Amino acid sequence: MERPLTVLQVSLHHPTKAPAVFATVPSSLQHDTSPLLVGRSPDSHLQLQLPRLSRQHLSLEPYRKKGSAGLAFSLKALSRRGYVWVNGLTLRFLEQVPLSAVNEVAFSGVQMVIHVELGTSLEAFACCFFVSPSPLIYRPQAKESDEWEDIPQALPAPSSEKQDPSYLGSLHHPSQTGDSPPQPSAGGGTEIQLQGEPADSLLC
Amino acid sequence: MSSFEEADTEETVTCLQITAFHPGPRQSGPFQSIKLGMREKLPSSEVVKFGRNSSICHYTFQDKQVSRVQFSLQLFKMFNSSVLSFEIKNMSKKTSLIVGDMELGYLNKTDLPARSMVRFGDYQLLMEKEDGESLDWFETQFILSPRSLVQENNWPPQRPIPESGCYLPYSTQNTSPTEIDENESWIEG
Repeated sequence: MERPLTVLQVSLHHPTKAPAVFATVPSSLQHDTSPLLVGRSPDSHLQLQLPRLSRQHLSLEPYRKKGSAGLAFSLKALSRRGYVWVNGLTLRFLEQVPLSAVNEVAFSGVQMVIHVELGTSLEAFACCFFVSPSPLIYRPQAKESDEWEDIPQALPAPSSEKQDPSYLGSLHHPSQTGDSPPQPSAGGGTEIQLQGEPADSLLC
Repeated sequence: MSSFEEADTEETVTCLQITAFHPGPRQSGPFQSIKLGMREKLPSSEVVKFGRNSSICHYTFQDKQVSRVQFSLQLFKMFNSSVLSFEIKNMSKKTSLIVGDMELGYLNKTDLPARSMVRFGDYQLLMEKEDGESLDWFETQFILSPRSLVQENNWPPQRPIPESGCYLPYSTQNTSPTEIDENESWIEG
């Protein structure tokens, strides 16, 4: 019997360059247990059309925590020039952080929110992508200091559109585990708003 | 201006030295396709795989008991640190990977200490990291030991490697630990 896949529900937003930047983003993909690469290169598993993005900007690596049956994920910054902002932490080149159930990620103007939906398969995982017309991350104080950052200094306030309160909430910051590198304490809590509901496919 | 004057400033490179032992025959053994003693320079974002499948793995073991990918190594940087560290992940569904005293199951990973014994099946791999300045590159060096590395937990002390690339095994006759000052010469007299 096939085991259900762990699914990463990934919402994407760019304040000025959408939808062109997400033109090559599929609605879903299935990936093996190697790190999933995000970047500008055609070799990346998730290719984003941003000229100032590194060829390989970050990776999402599946692994298993000791004693756990399913997959966990760590996010590693692979850009020598740009930073990746994850759940209040600024990651520089080769720094990594374990992901929580819900994660805010920002890099080179891209806003990304990743929900991890646990499965039991250890063979592969799936990603479902949604492009949001509205900002996903509301940060009163911008913490990202990417030199290539082209996100506007003042992010627009969250959309005044009708919001589902179930999508609002403080993030769970990554906790240190015995098999992960030590992490500094996270910054203040932030709120997220997801736009765009999953498509009606099997996984997404 | 000469090319010497124009060249980038040289940086030291983090090096992972892997001293391996397997009880099989040396000439036709599992390490026959590995370039021994040579330092190989790799990009710091590379995931180095060890296993039986030569199209996937950087270091190939000629042994049907080894998984297609047995384990992988990759670099990461601790927060607020300029030092690169290695992380090791077990990629075998069938065989546990023992790192020091820790047993890793399939897809478990852990940080590799600066000096650590890694074991799976009959394989013993002593991994020793030499820190460097470069964040762009790292090096690996694979060396064979003719003797078991885990007898009575007496791992060979760190010492210079001869150009032959063959590690002189720790003398089991010397039962007391040897402490070496960094300024002390290995050659007495």
